Amino acid sequence: MKKQQSIGTKLIGTLAIPAIFAAVLFGLSAANGKQLFATSISVNYFVLYAAIVMITTMALSINLNSGRFDFSLGAMAVLSSVLSAKLSYSLLGGGSGSAIVMLLLCVVIGAALGLLSGLLYAALRIPPIITSLGVTLIYEGVTFTVTEGKYINTEVRNASMTAFSGTWIWPALIIVVVLALVWFLFDYTKFGYDYKALQHGQKVSVNTGIREVPNALVCYAICGALMGIVGFLSAVRSSTINGGSLNFGSIGIMFTAFLPMFIGGYIGRFSNDKLGYLIAALCMSLLNTTFAAFSNEISASMQSIINALLLVVFLIYLSNEGLLKTLFHRKKSA
Amino acid sequence: MAQTKLTKKNRLRELLVTLLPIAALLILFGVLCMVVSSRGYRLDMYLRIIFNEGVVLAVVATGAIFIYSLGSFDISLGASTLFSATIGVLVYNSTQSLPLMILTIFGVAVGCSLLSSVLASVFHIPVFVTTVAMMSVLSAVAAQIITTKGGALGGIGIPAAVVEPLDNLPFKLAVLAVFAVLCVFVFNFTKIGRRLKFLGSNPVCAKLSGIKVNVYAIIAFVMAGLGVGLGAFLTLVYTPSVTPTTAGSIGMNILVAIVFGGMPISGGSRSRIYAAIVGGFSYILLNNILKIVIDSGAGYGISQIVSAVFFLAVVYVTSMNYRTKLLPR
Amino acid sequence: MNRKITKLLALILTLSLVACLFAGCSKKSAAEEIKIGVLVADVSGEEALAFRSYYENYIAKNYSNVTFVYTEQLTDAAAEKSAIEKFAAQGCQAVISFSSSDRAIQLDTCIKNKLYYAVGSGMLDDAQFETYKTSEYFVGQIGPSMDTEYEAGYAMGKYFADKGVKSVAIYGAFIPNPMHVYRAAGVLAGLGMTYGGASEKDAIVGQIFGDQGIDTSKVGTSGVQLTGYFQGFGDTTFDELFGILGQNPEAFLSVGMATTFFTDALNGANIEFSDIDSFTSANGKAMSEGKLVYLAGKYSSSIGPIFAAIMNAVNGHPVRDAEGNALSISQNYLVATDADSFAKYSTADQGDTPIFNKELLDTVIGDSISYDSFVSLVTADRS
Repeated sequence: MKKQQSIGTKLIGTLAIPAIFAAVLFGLSAANGKQLFATSISVNYFVLYAAIVMITTMALSINLNSGRFDFSLGAMAVLSSVLSAKLSYSLLGGGSGSAIVMLLLCVVIGAALGLLSGLLYAALRIPPIITSLGVTLIYEGVTFTVTEGKYINTEVRNASMTAFSGTWIWPALIIVVVLALVWFLFDYTKFGYDYKALQHGQKVSVNTGIREVPNALVCYAICGALMGIVGFLSAVRSSTINGGSLNFGSIGIMFTAFLPMFIGGYIGRFSNDKLGYLIAALCMSLLNTTFAAFSNEISASMQSIINALLLVVFLIYLSNEGLLKTLFHRKKSA
Repeated sequence: MAQTKLTKKNRLRELLVTLLPIAALLILFGVLCMVVSSRGYRLDMYLRIIFNEGVVLAVVATGAIFIYSLGSFDISLGASTLFSATIGVLVYNSTQSLPLMILTIFGVAVGCSLLSSVLASVFHIPVFVTTVAMMSVLSAVAAQIITTKGGALGGIGIPAAVVEPLDNLPFKLAVLAVFAVLCVFVFNFTKIGRRLKFLGSNPVCAKLSGIKVNVYAIIAFVMAGLGVGLGAFLTLVYTPSVTPTTAGSIGMNILVAIVFGGMPISGGSRSRIYAAIVGGFSYILLNNILKIVIDSGAGYGISQIVSAVFFLAVVYVTSMNYRTKLLPR
Repeated sequence: MNRKITKLLALILTLSLVACLFAGCSKKSAAEEIKIGVLVADVSGEEALAFRSYYENYIAKNYSNVTFVYTEQLTDAAAEKSAIEKFAAQGCQAVISFSSSDRAIQLDTCIKNKLYYAVGSGMLDDAQFETYKTSEYFVGQIGPSMDTEYEAGYAMGKYFADKGVKSVAIYGAFIPNPMHVYRAAGVLAGLGMTYGGASEKDAIVGQIFGDQGIDTSKVGTSGVQLTGYFQGFGDTTFDELFGILGQNPEAFLSVGMATTFFTDALNGANIEFSDIDSFTSANGKAMSEGKLVYLAGKYSSSIGPIFAAIMNAVNGHPVRDAEGNALSISQNYLVATDADSFAKYSTADQGDTPIFNKELLDTVIGDSISYDSFVSLVTADRS
């Protein structure tokens, strides 16, 4: 039987990693005379990036936790944002309300793209990783055909979008709404219970009458909707969308979500994994802000290497936690 | 009587499905020949070009089969190819020795693979995540070296004359054949191959029967490293220079090639060495046919869509023998 | 159900292959046709698309025996070599290159396959030019040389220095891309700054290559202050941009791509900015309604003269200098500093009425064209 954790343990377990991140990064910055949040714009972009990372991590983990590897997340984000930008521009011409209309369209189109991907997986019954390879190529191809490979600029450059990026409140609101919805859906509904049952015992769950295919389709649709939001937020952040990615050029976004997914999973042991993803996303955004402050000292290549090393070191700890604890206790008792 | 008929039918179906990737390769080959000839293009040149485009992918993917047979996959192989070639160029430029360059390329490639396998098997990190981290590190380091040393040229290289004598069809064909034979031998006629397939099919049972998972994982990665080394060398033979984007598409194309060749992504007993060669060349042939037929700027996206649909269709048909009632994972 | 899907797929596969066959049969080769292969590394940039449109929609229409065969996006030297071999297999007579992963391999491959080769934009490294300048298959190069890139950066830096700005931020685009390195070195020199104590072109360029960017601690100045520098485009880009804009520089100087990435942010921050890009409608809007105050750019028909040089070579009358060397002419950027000058350049070079139109190109296509006539054509003031 699982041992009940005390509130102290829960608090320490939940807050230890962000506290370490904050102490190290603020300490490093202060020691080198760098200010991480020099202006209010820095705060806005910190929250915006945290939202992007949190939602991508959730989308990645929903299917990955069920053993379904999905390479098409990035392609879904780009295609949904391209289609939404073009549609909202044709409806409103960049006028007031463009941003909110684009956001809603991103959610709807993203969900549709996710559902389509899920339907393909359920119909073909080939491993999800392979389906996702095909879907990635198809969505990238559609994006390239729609945009003729060009950047989408005019459609996402208007006062409405600028207002969205001009405050941290909008991205914070999106974080709260997405967190609440995903928490509710996966922890307090029949769909969520079925999802967990299928995650931990696919065969037994199906034999007890849980309908696997509808559950998987809803998962894909949710992932699509989440990636639609990521596509929108990325467009807000960059005020452009690159429509020219082909031959798996869109899969990079997925790799940024691995470290927060594992950190979130670890924090989830002490509280809740969704809250863990938010905390991990805040850590990653703080790291990103630090990289930006040290951009003259730490090149883009070095940033890639640091991110990769953090991932490996954290996973080494995570995978050998029991062994490390045993060694530590042995040393202590000796 | 009826049961015998059913078994015969099943066998026939299995045979057809097994042969489908090879049939697809032959059909694609035929279509390419016809399309090229009907356009008045030179077929002999096209075939040589396609062989050159496919041979690096085929070699690296053949080595990668050993990792894939375990049910794992490695997306850092493209970055390893770039990194090995980069270090090879540096060594040649400082020693002027071709043998030393080749040795270095193989040493670095196998070293990168060993590092991945040690991280995965000794520290128990999921293989895929290890390879994602390796991909980031290797490509970042290689890019740093190339751009620093390359200066205004944007890349580094060795004199073309050094490898020019090797840039011919018989040599590359021989390299591919020798490596394929070696891999077939190890995979099909030694206990290494049998145990790798066993581990891929049923890891729990394999472990319980005394097979040392770590040892075989390391062997699989070393074989993949040999493929990467050979791929890096053949890359330099074709174009004796490296830029940060060299071999950039190999990592994901290996995955596509192996599946296209009829091997299940879950590895195990259905793993086949020939899947990499058949799948690699099929994918290259398909892309070339589409590029000739859909010949316009907007066509890049469309040809990728057609290629993906074709890929999914072939995989669907080749996987029909091991389809389960439950959704596959 | 499964069998039905399988049959359906088999039918789709068969039909698609048959369709490929029919499509393949639809075109016949023409012996008198001049086929020119075009190597491209960028298939989606505004400038690249404008170049393509000029060749396919103006040149091919006005020279009816000429066909252009474009590659897909070429990402490395192997793709470039393979593309040239395919051009040879397709019966092309010449290659114009807008891709620069490895120009030496491109040239070697063209020579091996007896294809005429010209650099469409940019120039070979000096040592490479020396190696290939006497090859009969190397037609030449017309475009901004690295010196021109440096000068373009220098002129931009000087524009702001002369204007009296006290503080600037610089965006280094995709350094260590050589073109961007030379431009950035020029910007520093134009602003009156030193780098690592050096003020000479080669010394600054060498250090930027070594540092893989501009190290702000090495920038020395007695006048204009450098408040911030960043480069590349990734996850940290906008954090860096806004961190730098928070220092309130008077101007933002970019050596490329700023108009694609940062127009909105810079207009919003009310900071004057400059870039080296092309005369697109979006840039025109940024200049007339926004804070873009300086744009050095190329016009789409600037690649006309190199086409003329290729035509002469294919027709058996290659243009060489007095020593028998290939063409090598540096082409300058046009500079717009207000909406009027921008409009002048962009309207002068429209689809059907390009600056290098057929009449102008015909003056240098023929059997006795001199090197000097090419130089005159390229270097004449077209503003």
